[in-house]
Amino acid sequence: MNDVQVPVLDTAPATGISADDALWYKDAVIYQVNVKSFFDSNDDGIGDFKGLTSKLQYIRDLGVNTIWLMPFYPSPLKDDGYDIADYQNVHPQFGTLNDFRAMLREAHRLELKVVTELIINHTSDQHPWFQAARNSPPGSPQRDFFVWSDTDQKYLGTRIIFTDTESSNWTWDPVAKAYYWHRFFSHQPDLNFDNPQVMKAVLQVMRFWLEMGVDGFRLDAIPYLVEREGTSNENLRETHAVIKELRAAIDASYRNRFLLAEANQWPEDVREYFGDGDECHMAYHFPLMPRIYMAIAQEDRYPIIEIMQQTPDIPETCQWAIFLRNHDELTLEMVTSKERDYMYTTYAADLQARINLGIRRRLAPLMENDLERIKLMNSLLLSMPGSPILYYGDEIGMGDNFFIGDRNGVRTPMQWSPDRNAGFSRADPQRLYLPPIMDAIYGYQSTNVEAQSRDPSSLLSWTKRMLAVRKTSQAFGRGARRFLRPGNRKILAYLREFGDDTILCVANLSRSAQPVELNLASFKGRVPVEMLGRTAFPPIGELPYLLTISAYGFYWFRLATDAAVPSWHEQIVSVDERPVVVLFDGWTSLFRERVVPWRIGMAEKTRTQFETDTLPRYIETQRWYAAKGTPIERARITENVLWQEGKVTWLMALVELDGAEPHGEYFLPLAIAWEERDDERARNLSTSAVAKIRQQAAVGVMGDAFADEMFCRAVVAAMASHREIAMSSGKLQFRRTAAFAEVAGPDFAALPVERPRGSSSNTVVNMRERLMLKGYRRLRVGLNPELEMGLYLTEVAHFANCAPLAGVLEFIANDGQTRLLAMLQGFIANQGDGWSYSLEYLRRHLEQYRTTPAGDAVPLNAHEAYLNLIRVLAQRTAELHQALARPTKDAAFSPVPLVRADIDTYRQRALDEARGALDLLAANLEMVPAADRERAAAVLAQREMLMTRMDACAAATPQGKKIRIHGDYHLGQVLVTRNDFVIIDFEGEPGHTLEQRRAKHSPLRDAAGMLRSFSYVQQSAVRSVAHNEAEALKLAPLARAWESEARAAFLSAYEASARKAGLYETLQPGHGLLGLFEIEKALYELRYEIGNRPPWVGIPLQGIVDWGSG
Amino acid sequence: MQSIDMVVDATREFLHQTAAFLPKLLLALLVVAVGWLIAKAVRFAVERALRAVNFNVLTERAGTDNFLRQAGMGGDTTTLFGLLAFWAVLLAALIIAFNGMGLTYITDLLGRVVLFTPKLLIAMLIMVFGSYFASFVGNAVQNYCLDARIPDAEMLGRLVRYAIMLFVIMIALSQIEVGGDIVQRTFLIILAGLMLAIALAFGLGGKEWAAALLQRWWPQQRKDQDT
Repeated sequence: MNDVQVPVLDTAPATGISADDALWYKDAVIYQVNVKSFFDSNDDGIGDFKGLTSKLQYIRDLGVNTIWLMPFYPSPLKDDGYDIADYQNVHPQFGTLNDFRAMLREAHRLELKVVTELIINHTSDQHPWFQAARNSPPGSPQRDFFVWSDTDQKYLGTRIIFTDTESSNWTWDPVAKAYYWHRFFSHQPDLNFDNPQVMKAVLQVMRFWLEMGVDGFRLDAIPYLVEREGTSNENLRETHAVIKELRAAIDASYRNRFLLAEANQWPEDVREYFGDGDECHMAYHFPLMPRIYMAIAQEDRYPIIEIMQQTPDIPETCQWAIFLRNHDELTLEMVTSKERDYMYTTYAADLQARINLGIRRRLAPLMENDLERIKLMNSLLLSMPGSPILYYGDEIGMGDNFFIGDRNGVRTPMQWSPDRNAGFSRADPQRLYLPPIMDAIYGYQSTNVEAQSRDPSSLLSWTKRMLAVRKTSQAFGRGARRFLRPGNRKILAYLREFGDDTILCVANLSRSAQPVELNLASFKGRVPVEMLGRTAFPPIGELPYLLTISAYGFYWFRLATDAAVPSWHEQIVSVDERPVVVLFDGWTSLFRERVVPWRIGMAEKTRTQFETDTLPRYIETQRWYAAKGTPIERARITENVLWQEGKVTWLMALVELDGAEPHGEYFLPLAIAWEERDDERARNLSTSAVAKIRQQAAVGVMGDAFADEMFCRAVVAAMASHREIAMSSGKLQFRRTAAFAEVAGPDFAALPVERPRGSSSNTVVNMRERLMLKGYRRLRVGLNPELEMGLYLTEVAHFANCAPLAGVLEFIANDGQTRLLAMLQGFIANQGDGWSYSLEYLRRHLEQYRTTPAGDAVPLNAHEAYLNLIRVLAQRTAELHQALARPTKDAAFSPVPLVRADIDTYRQRALDEARGALDLLAANLEMVPAADRERAAAVLAQREMLMTRMDACAAATPQGKKIRIHGDYHLGQVLVTRNDFVIIDFEGEPGHTLEQRRAKHSPLRDAAGMLRSFSYVQQSAVRSVAHNEAEALKLAPLARAWESEARAAFLSAYEASARKAGLYETLQPGHGLLGLFEIEKALYELRYEIGNRPPWVGIPLQGIVDWGSG
Repeated sequence: MQSIDMVVDATREFLHQTAAFLPKLLLALLVVAVGWLIAKAVRFAVERALRAVNFNVLTERAGTDNFLRQAGMGGDTTTLFGLLAFWAVLLAALIIAFNGMGLTYITDLLGRVVLFTPKLLIAMLIMVFGSYFASFVGNAVQNYCLDARIPDAEMLGRLVRYAIMLFVIMIALSQIEVGGDIVQRTFLIILAGLMLAIALAFGLGGKEWAAALLQRWWPQQRKDQDT
């Protein structure tokens, strides 16, 4: 089995909005669109609904799930549509009401929610309500739709919002001969909510759109609805009463709709707009936005942390809406005057860029088009508590033009392509509602959707990836937020926690690389998995977690409890955490029969402590401990000898474990080093320390002897001199092979020794990239096939593409039974194993096509270089089989002809496997991931057909040979070395007994193993690259094409090399013995995955389905 | 006839005596055989018991095993103790046997040998424990000097070990009453010689230091002042 962890694609996206989810807005990512600016379908120079409808797929592909449409109602358009002249219609420029309905239908078909504007604070002065009011007598209900006064001296405590254009909140109407109240422009008179008729009219408007299917409203300028003398006329209790009434009306008649409050206020005031969960569902967090800019400008996390701390808790059902930029200026109302000055000088040195109390620029120009800073800003936006809102065009880094006037500079046409008018419209350029951006940096020629769609490293592709990643966890939308406070203030680090899901976000706010030490002690043992690349980082330990982050870099980590620790990671337990063993007489303190009479009691006590506490604690944490998770009661030293070389003595111990798996016997050579006398050895040993030791005033370390350079050298030297060491029930036998001199060289005694690397069954020590000392831990009685094959391939067959065997250390019991303790092999310089190489190769290939349009074709010879490598692999495989098929007098290796009885046995074995695996599948269907259930059902339905086909495969004429084979052959068992392969690990299938592993088989069993391995790579790559089901569906055909090419290349090259050796009858995939072995292997994998890794069950299931249909 | 009678009488007497002695001899032989079996058992038991309490470890650490090996003995000290026990039991059996046969002189002789055995045993124990103690103190001195960075630590350690060993040997010898006066006198001579050597070494090597010391205790100036 390929022992590599690949994250499993959650095919039911965590944040997929279902129609029944009343809290859908908590997971929403909102895309803010201005219909006018998005796409022009009728070439009149102004965007329209038909245009928008045609671009909904683009919005959907971006990864957002909600669209917020800016005002599209009939209006004189003096304030970009926020001055409505008719609430229940569509401005003719944008199309008709039917066009809107069509757009809404299409959006819902694409699972996009649609949010519109509900501007009820004011209307346009052209609205029939105002026209009626000004012409009606004072005191009449029509007149009372608006707020009138004979004097402009009322409500004097009210601030003026648009200070650049307005000097008073009152404007004289010569028709009505009175002043009317307006908080914004003078052409936008405020509605009078003290008049019940107004409320009735507003509710009618709301129902009109809700009936049509609109999913929510953005309540514009909501704090200013009601006026009272002597107040600031903002956030009044009466205003909240109006909102509560609106909410009640929605809840009474509609499901899953929502209200978003636009209240440009401090958080504690905004908090009121949530009520007790009975006002707005969402509200903007205005003060956060400028502080994100401030934090990056000051390279200090303080502004963000400070404002988030001031942010009150909100009801469970409510959510913040957060944003970086929108159609208005970057408002600086929510910062102090000093902070405002700082922001102005940093982001708007050009006075033209300033408007009102803000800056009229888009995100990219504010960040000086620094891609890293733009990405950092977006990463903060997407990971802060709340539902993020993206402003159209910011996903491609569009620029602005503040010379146009007002805030129109950030409302220019969407840049679709480098064509005329940015691909926005086919109209004459002069007819456009606004000219597109045309400068050298942000102009549509260089910055447009078409170009960025093609470029996997563009901002657009990156944004798609980020949104896809954000969707994989609900913690972003719903999780609690907790700031970490590392010493480095340039680093902003926070946790998002939701249920068991914990996400760590770390951002470097500065322009240079920064280190940070994070206190993550409460997550000790968890593995941080970087969410974009799904790379596992070393697990969190006792010490502060050290990270280095590039300039303006950021990380999102999932603190996983289920992810595997990186295979290269070495768990170094600090020697301080190890128990102390007090010795009184060196090694002999552990052996009662070796101490002076009056210390027998002490020795027995020390031994008991050593066997019941010290050793179990050490062994339980070792990777080679087979029964992981099972506590060890006692590690009993069953056989030992003190091996002395010069002044150093090692304890060569065989240990049996009580309380763990039955008959678990392990090899445990131990070394001791004292700090004062032998400092360097003590330091080396402390990396794999078993215990701290003390003897009187001397302190030192007891550790795994493989971490002791002197021990490793002594083992090699003992092998060279055929040394034997007697033990009570047998002997340790060191011996060298014929290849020793050639492999080890004359200076083997002086080779530098590297630190040992632990693996699942052994410990490997590299000696100057020339020798590899492999210490076996779990011991098995009998002739180890790895040793037997190694000796045969090195000394008899002289097979070059395996690691040459140079020496052996065995324990030979008095009854003649042997146990392999260590092997010395030639070192193979390599580029990793074939599995990692292939998986990474395919992942890179798929990554290229992940965000590109579906139609982009893969070049014909895209995989040629890789396939050439696979051909070499096939050739080496064939050469191995030929080497093992040589006639020899050694009965263990001499080939025998394949006879009918063998095929019958193979058939029976495969059928047994099929019955076992399919019965197991049927009994464990509930364990199969939901996405694979269909496949599982298909496999179960094919049961009879599979059996029949297996019978057909076994009907092949018995032709070919039975030879010794690799036995557990897959991509993980070959090392890539300079465009060639070296075959390793001849131990055979771990689940079998040594005798079964040494049996002869058809070599096609190895070939079938390799073919299955390609299938694993194919599906693992798709699962690890795709962030959602749609991507998986898109990438699967590419991966399958790769697999079929790799299989074909392997089989044809194997055939070319092995045909003449007469090893098999046919090599046709899915037929004959190859087919039989392949399905048997797939069924074995199915059984294995159900038992060990249920999320992986889909891979063998797909293999079985493919085989059945092949 | 008379001569015949004499011969017959003598023969009869001889036969009588023989008849009276034979059972005694047989009994003695039986006693020796049983004693031999018991001695074997005691030897086995002593060796097992000593090894069970790690006496062999003690003798090995004390260096007596090595000494015995160098002296050409096949076993270690524990074997020797077993052998001693074996002979003690066997000798006891022989005493009983000879006593039974009325051979009192041999009985006395053997009695003295048997009485010597406990002394030998104690002397050997003194040697074993004494040697262990000597090597323990020697090692302790050596380690202390090494830690205190005093030069010639190894030599000092050995010196202490040998000095203690000397006393131990003396005690052991006096236990088995070997040597007596001559050993004591030799010891005194060696001790006196050693003291003389130290005194000479101190007197010659530390003359100036002693002068300075004397000078400090009775300074010349004080004499001058007095005068």
